[in-house]
Amino acid sequence: MMDVYRRGHGWPGAIFKGGLIPPSTSANLSCEWEQNMEIELIEIRDFLSAHHPFDQLSEQALNQMPEMLQVRYFRRGTTIPDSGSIDDYLYLVRSGAVEIHGTQDELLAQLGEGDLFGYRASHMEGHAEFQGTAMEDSLVYLLPAADVDRFCREHPQFSYFFEPAGGDRLRDAISSTGEDGSSQLGLMATQIGDMISREPISMPPTASIQETASVMSDERVSSILITQDAKLVGIVTDRDLRRRVVAKGLDTSLPISSIMTADPKTLDASDYAFNAMLQMARANIHHLPILRNGEVAGMLTATDFAQRHTTSAVYLVSSIYKQHDAQGLASISAKLPQLLLNLAAADATANSIGHVITAVVDSITVRLLQLAEERFGPPPVPYAWVAAGSQARSEQTAKSDQDNCLVLDDAYDPKTHGEYFKALAQFVSDGLNACGYVYCPGEMMATTDKWRQPLAGWKRYFNQWINQPEPKALMLTCVFFDLRCIHGEKNLFRELRQYLLDKTRGNQIFLAYMAGNALSFKPPLGFFRNFVLISGGEHDHTFDLKHTGIVPIVDLARVYALAAGSHAINTQDRLKEVASGGEVSHGGAHDLRDALEFVSSLRIRHQARQIKAGEAPNNYMSPDDLSHFERSHLKDAFSVVRTMQNVLSQRYLR
Amino acid sequence: MSIWKYLFNLEERRNWWTRKMPDGPLRDYYETPFPARDSDWRQVDYLAIDFETTGLEASQDQILSVGYATVRGDRLILGDATHILIRPTVDIPEASAVVHGILDDRAAGAQPLEEVLPIILHALKGKALLAHHAAIEYEFLNHACRNLYGYPFLCPVVDTLALEVRQYRMQDQAIRSGDLRLAKARARYGLPRYPAHNALTDALAAGELFLAQAAYRRSKRPPRLKDLIVVS
Repeated sequence: MMDVYRRGHGWPGAIFKGGLIPPSTSANLSCEWEQNMEIELIEIRDFLSAHHPFDQLSEQALNQMPEMLQVRYFRRGTTIPDSGSIDDYLYLVRSGAVEIHGTQDELLAQLGEGDLFGYRASHMEGHAEFQGTAMEDSLVYLLPAADVDRFCREHPQFSYFFEPAGGDRLRDAISSTGEDGSSQLGLMATQIGDMISREPISMPPTASIQETASVMSDERVSSILITQDAKLVGIVTDRDLRRRVVAKGLDTSLPISSIMTADPKTLDASDYAFNAMLQMARANIHHLPILRNGEVAGMLTATDFAQRHTTSAVYLVSSIYKQHDAQGLASISAKLPQLLLNLAAADATANSIGHVITAVVDSITVRLLQLAEERFGPPPVPYAWVAAGSQARSEQTAKSDQDNCLVLDDAYDPKTHGEYFKALAQFVSDGLNACGYVYCPGEMMATTDKWRQPLAGWKRYFNQWINQPEPKALMLTCVFFDLRCIHGEKNLFRELRQYLLDKTRGNQIFLAYMAGNALSFKPPLGFFRNFVLISGGEHDHTFDLKHTGIVPIVDLARVYALAAGSHAINTQDRLKEVASGGEVSHGGAHDLRDALEFVSSLRIRHQARQIKAGEAPNNYMSPDDLSHFERSHLKDAFSVVRTMQNVLSQRYLR
Repeated sequence: MSIWKYLFNLEERRNWWTRKMPDGPLRDYYETPFPARDSDWRQVDYLAIDFETTGLEASQDQILSVGYATVRGDRLILGDATHILIRPTVDIPEASAVVHGILDDRAAGAQPLEEVLPIILHALKGKALLAHHAAIEYEFLNHACRNLYGYPFLCPVVDTLALEVRQYRMQDQAIRSGDLRLAKARARYGLPRYPAHNALTDALAAGELFLAQAAYRRSKRPPRLKDLIVVS
């Protein structure tokens, strides 16, 4: 009896589903048989595990899945489903191809091996009803809706997939794809123990504030460990002395324990440097006590990273200011690809990588302007050197064209000052070109007379662009609606910026033109096998991450920002700012930010791969380069963008 | 015996054996009516089944493993997909081990045929037997039933190989050697390649092939079971 119970309990249930088996006949079914059951459906399980979202399931959950499936065969040209609602099942294409059409018969997707449709997918894509048609003879796995529901309840990772596009699905994707395999590099492989350069400097908690400060000063350290019986009890930094002692006029004879940060965050010397950097960034701290076997081993500071990492942004920027010619600057800018690699390896977000890389470009620009002023003398009238486009938005990754302009004080007189600024602009532009920021083919550079104007001239330009918008001109000039002052008289620029924002805010006619412009780049519908599926059903072998993924979001954010009169320039900042303003829904803005981060990080990893392979980084990816996971989430990102483009067009273009 | 085949149809013979037979797994099996010959093919349950054997002669060779899954109308149900190893009473000949990969020590941990046969018969109840080159499975089952229970095995049989031959004849195409093999036949319908020679994989492969063949029957009315079965 006991025996029968045990076996009955352990069986995967295949036989029980068929009906009752007399105990006598099942007497010898062994554990081995149970394993066999799994092995035999392994082919189907392996197919599932290779495709998203099944790849998110645990081994155990995955093993349960094959036996829930039904298999169907649809001849070319037949409708799927042939009866009932498309939501009754989740359909997984095992072989063949299926097209999905909307109610207006418009093509929504072409699906190949491993692609899913049906079940809740209808509202995933934002379409209430749609229908599938087999384009080729297709073998399709069906998972009943009730089973999908149950799996979604039990496996949140799995359920994300079925939530509306965007939302948690994209956020989830951003964190998962961060674990890409470039861990051999830099901080990922360095142990903290190898980075600590000196013995720990410590004081007992009973020492006075004054004594402690004096030791810190003698030892030339910006922070000190407070230890008792070789155990760490606290930490004190320069900043603590300033904020907690000097600013408050505290008596410096008090014990140091009264102002220390007790029980500070620590890491072990065997931890990886990457982890330390994350901890410090997260907590916004610059000093991290390091323990070895529970004992104080030393202090890790933010500057250790700069010293350790010759291609860190801090190091690059500080050496930029030591250069005296364009050649020297070019040798530093040549290290930018390596910096991108390191940042990508350290799992920095695409947005922060954009900021870091752009900070280097900014510094090169500033240094070139300093060198120009050294050579041509101080400027005769105040000027503002203004970057446009991706540099203005702090969204550079690989090197791109230079887009810049000069805003001059209204005291500017072309006759007497013209030569100076022309020479200055030429010097900087040539220098940037030497550093790999090649001349803008559209001539949007301060070297052309048109883009080197006094404030009044710029106001005239914007007045014309905003009050008499022309679609063609707007395409060229929309880059001038992303402006950031890099160097010079910031007030000149601020006045211009305020002037143009006052004109754009709520300006329906102008915004309609900008909205039309923002819709000029459409993301693809998705992927079909090794092709990119473009609306209208055409195929392409590669797709341009920049123009199909990033530019549409940047364009949308620009319209929102101009409509709201927001000062933000960076796309993430713009979306964050306008989310509360009513130009775009909170959820919509959030989804766009996630979509941008996902596509941008995909681009960065793509470019990092190219750099590693010794190729010039570009924006073109082939669907072959994408994992099934990435494809699925990229499709999501595209879908978010399409939805928001539709909303924008409803709002301004009806 | 063969004269009965022409005098009485399958269902009549089933009834006759049911009345004659003592209690046991085979009688249990016969108590459920076979699916009606006039049924729309989509209303019928099939058992897609495959054996791996020590050879091709039912009279002298033995079954080493069985794999099966139900085809319910136009869909293959993986929920009851089953694979069972059967312990042979003789050593496994090397020539067959090369094909199916079942070796003596693995087979030794398996169940004897007398325990597995009731499971197979139970799974077949009320269904049509579905296999690629079904004569093998049918003959091995028949021999097993005669040896263990003393009575013959009866079942409506759908043979995907026979359906494929009909397809060729209808289109007046010549059949070349190898054309009728399971993998080749599947490829014609755009079905994916599976690793061959595992009883369950082959059973699923035959089940899927059947779904494809049924979908490809060009007729105004959906075929009935009698249009698909082979005479047995």
